[in-house]
Amino acid sequence: MLEAVNISFESLNMATLTPMLVAIVGALAILTIDLFKEEMDKTLYIVLTILFLVADLSTVLGQTMGERGFFDVMLIDGLAILAQIVLLIGSIIFIPLAFSSQRFHEYRYPEFFALFLFMTAGFQFMVATDNLILIFVGLETASLALYTLIVLHNKDKSFEAAIKYFTMGALAAGFFAFSGMIFYGLTGSVELFKIFEVLEARNFEPMILILTASVFMLASFGFKMAIVPFHTWGPDVYEGSSAALAGYISIVPKVAAFVVIMRIFEGLIASGIVWIEYIFYAIVVLTMTLANIWALVQKDVKRMLAYSSISHAGFVMAAIMIGTTQANSAIFVYWILFSFTNLGAFAMLWVSHKKDSNYHERFDHPFEKFSGMVKMSPLSAVLMGLFMLTLAGIPPFSIFWGKLYLVSSAVNAGYLVLAVIMVLNSAIAAYYYAKLIVYMFMKEPETGVDGSVYMMNASISLKVMLGIAAFFTALSIFIVNPVLELSDFFIYSSGF
Amino acid sequence: MSEETLLYIALFSPIVSSLFAALFGTVPKRVFVGVVTSGLIGLSFLSSLALFIHLQSGSGVVHVQMFDWIMAGDFSVPFGFLVDEVTVTMMLVVSLVSTAVHIYSIGYMEHDKGFNRFFSYLSAFVFSMMFLVMSDNFLGLFIGWEGVGLCSWLLIGFWYHKHSAGWAANEAFIMNRIADLGMLLGIFLIYWTYGSVQYDVVFSAVSEADGEILTWIAIFLFIGAMGKSAQFPLHTWLADAMEGPTPVSALIHAATMVTAGVYLVIRANELFALTPEVGLFIASLGAFVAMFAATMALVNRDIKRIIAYSTLSQLGYMFVAAGLGAYWIALFHLVTHAFFKALLFLGAGNVMHAMNDELNIMKMGGMRKVMGWTAILMLLASLALAGIYPFAGFFSKDKILEVAFDGHYYILWATLWITAGLTAFYSFRVVMLVFFGKERYKDFGFHPHEAHDYMIWAMVPLAVLAVIAGFFEHQFVAFVSNVLPVYEFSEHTHHMVGQLILVTSAIAITGIAIAVFSNMFREGVFSSAFRNTILFKLFDNQYYIPKIYEEVITKPYMELSKVFWEKVDMKIVDASVDGIANILRSTGENTRGMQSGNLSYMLRWMAGGMMLILLFAIVYTYSDVLLNILQGVAK
Repeated sequence: MLEAVNISFESLNMATLTPMLVAIVGALAILTIDLFKEEMDKTLYIVLTILFLVADLSTVLGQTMGERGFFDVMLIDGLAILAQIVLLIGSIIFIPLAFSSQRFHEYRYPEFFALFLFMTAGFQFMVATDNLILIFVGLETASLALYTLIVLHNKDKSFEAAIKYFTMGALAAGFFAFSGMIFYGLTGSVELFKIFEVLEARNFEPMILILTASVFMLASFGFKMAIVPFHTWGPDVYEGSSAALAGYISIVPKVAAFVVIMRIFEGLIASGIVWIEYIFYAIVVLTMTLANIWALVQKDVKRMLAYSSISHAGFVMAAIMIGTTQANSAIFVYWILFSFTNLGAFAMLWVSHKKDSNYHERFDHPFEKFSGMVKMSPLSAVLMGLFMLTLAGIPPFSIFWGKLYLVSSAVNAGYLVLAVIMVLNSAIAAYYYAKLIVYMFMKEPETGVDGSVYMMNASISLKVMLGIAAFFTALSIFIVNPVLELSDFFIYSSGF
Repeated sequence: MSEETLLYIALFSPIVSSLFAALFGTVPKRVFVGVVTSGLIGLSFLSSLALFIHLQSGSGVVHVQMFDWIMAGDFSVPFGFLVDEVTVTMMLVVSLVSTAVHIYSIGYMEHDKGFNRFFSYLSAFVFSMMFLVMSDNFLGLFIGWEGVGLCSWLLIGFWYHKHSAGWAANEAFIMNRIADLGMLLGIFLIYWTYGSVQYDVVFSAVSEADGEILTWIAIFLFIGAMGKSAQFPLHTWLADAMEGPTPVSALIHAATMVTAGVYLVIRANELFALTPEVGLFIASLGAFVAMFAATMALVNRDIKRIIAYSTLSQLGYMFVAAGLGAYWIALFHLVTHAFFKALLFLGAGNVMHAMNDELNIMKMGGMRKVMGWTAILMLLASLALAGIYPFAGFFSKDKILEVAFDGHYYILWATLWITAGLTAFYSFRVVMLVFFGKERYKDFGFHPHEAHDYMIWAMVPLAVLAVIAGFFEHQFVAFVSNVLPVYEFSEHTHHMVGQLILVTSAIAITGIAIAVFSNMFREGVFSSAFRNTILFKLFDNQYYIPKIYEEVITKPYMELSKVFWEKVDMKIVDASVDGIANILRSTGENTRGMQSGNLSYMLRWMAGGMMLILLFAIVYTYSDVLLNILQGVAK
């Protein structure tokens, strides 16, 4: 007869788990409502989702740092809290985009919102633990939900994108499992802090196995972050998803993946395995540069933005390699500023999206669509121009500050060449962002176009979201300091 | 109400006003936009007045720190505002003239399509100007400095469909950019030397710096001032800026923005006091510009350009005073000048309005019969400008001449003295040609009419101040002496004051007399003999300076650009970029299978990439072994 396992409730420290539980309960609540009464208006679900996310955020803000819970699987340190804040804010500003003026397939399903909440919970699990298994569970929960969300857009392109994303995601999951297996085999633990302890004790031998495990891990999360050479899904998936979801994909999942990479690799780099630093260096430079060059030759704005997001991912990966507190805290500033701007840029595409018909036989947002936009819809042209200038890192708009802090942390840490490459890449990037501005402000409109398409999909709440994004983008000079302090505080207190 | 609140109201009600007007930027004219913005600017004036009373009662300087603005490493700029005696003087002038101009513009712009937009820009300008004068550090001053430059650009080019307006706006903007670079260098140097850009920190430590560095700082700052205040050789933009609507000329290009350079010198007086050689240069340049601009005004036929040149000339006067260390006199002249010059411009606006935007004074004449009030107001302004007792200009201008005399700079004194005569002449030439004599406008088929009553009323406060402001000289000295050093005249000059005033007034009256008589006898037309002299041609063509700029700078630059474009850009840069692009494109073509989304290809990429990195890992780990093997093979 097995002895009954006796666990006291206090020892679980459920407070560490509350935020995710809020999201999950929210998802279940939405499903239950649908069970009892079908065909509710999407507004209800949108508002419910926002409410649950806000509740989630407030429990995150109430968490205390340095706690462990649930059999020590959960780890709530400053990094976890900060990352959850960024994730949740990203999610909260994404959901109102569903208030589009045209009716879209996906928002008719309550499942969309339930999946969205499950996904958010998955990402939160990923960042709030140092247990490889829980990371895996969170990753897969979130990814599977995300694939489905893409498909719900219900176009040929979305099916294609989701299938591709799913298949490649499966491969990446395999990589992760393999890597975890090697780590477990080497150290007998799936908890990162213990893994490092043991590795250190055995003086990082045998090196080849550690490197193999690292490479698999890098490939797995490199896929999530869309860094070269694991980026190939990026443009297709961005193109296949609705512009709103593409904006989301470009930020939130990457933040989650980024935090995991940070937890795993900063330890490895700091422990003096030079090779990993080299390989990161190579990947960072390749990702920034190649993605930028590819972005140069794109004919579609959304694909251009997809490549530019890849390039930005390379930029943020540099922080992991630099690994100083300054770099880590700069990178969260970067993420926060980037999320508002990228959200704004994708939302501009979203409001110009025409249901059931592509603007062009191959692309929905070719550059020509925006020709002479300023003559027909000056305000939207100015907004789009603002987001483009910001993405290009023109002072005093938001991303400039992120870049500034990151580059200066690179210089402070002695990575002079890297800093130069980063600046050069910013210069290249300015070129393709400016290309859109040239189209909008200097070209003549195409004949027979009346400009109604630019605000086709706009509704009051979409305009409000655009206003918020533009506000934070343009006036970031005033928020960058508090954000930096916040980020500094959390990063510093969790020892990164 | 606390002083802090007053300060914020004075500063921020213009921006509220601008944003309010901007809300209606794209819709047709709404009169209430003009009324509301005028009210908000008026509110700013009242707050400034309250602050003035506060300071007058001796309750001390108002200094607020809003928050830490830029904190990058050791570089910290607290975002603060300072209202001391100098600031509040500037605030009063700016907000008063702005209020008058706002009200006036309701009438002036009544038929303009961009009515609402105009008020948005105008209020934005007031905000920038307030920001400029109220900042407690050089960086904030610079922000305001750029802000007024931007608004000036918007307003000069307000009628952007006119090619000349767009051109003039760009000219003003670019010339100011050149000068601003100097200013920025000065600010960098200040930060580098003193470790701060706060006025109080810098000025309290000002003498600690090396003399040479101080000189450079002074020079750089003055270069900035030269651009904004249109001093030679960066003066050409001011006359061209007259392309903007006339209220803009009154507010920006006469009363406020162009005096920012003078304000900068006054504000940084501790710094300039330690660099007398730069001060002397400033004074000399000022005297030169005073005369130089006055000569150009002599022969011009465009009513607005004449007034613009007179502005240039008066700015020269201010710089003489500031350069010679008589800061309060410079500020005093700045104040009185703002009143009578804004008045003069607004009067010119009335005339233009009556004449369907005709600017040529030779086509006017005898207009006092149809626009009596405007004639009276402009006459008062011209008397003040000419420096006739008891008008405001008399007191301030005379003081400047006394300063030049007192410092034994007799050449400067003589220059300014002659200029005073020229000033009197050209300002009365305008008055005579426009308001007196034969009614030439009838030949050209114009039907002038007086402006709206409220436009006249908006001008009245300025007129009153243009007349009486001079009498407050002593109160003014007492007021600003808390901040600015009081200029002490020597005994010698003290005795000579009477004679000096007499001599100056004599030349001014002579100038007026010549203008009046020449108008009586020959209708203001210059004799053909004079027209053929080189001097006349020089004056008439603005000393050929625009042409010289065109020939020496613009054209060679154009040629050079062309060479660079055709030879370097097209053949080298473009060719190489195209080359890279072509390579990329062909790579794109070749890898199309991957990008157009063959899934198995994509998976192979991913796995392949991973394997490649793994290979690197193996090579790295076993590099010694591999090397051994390779060596073995080599053997």
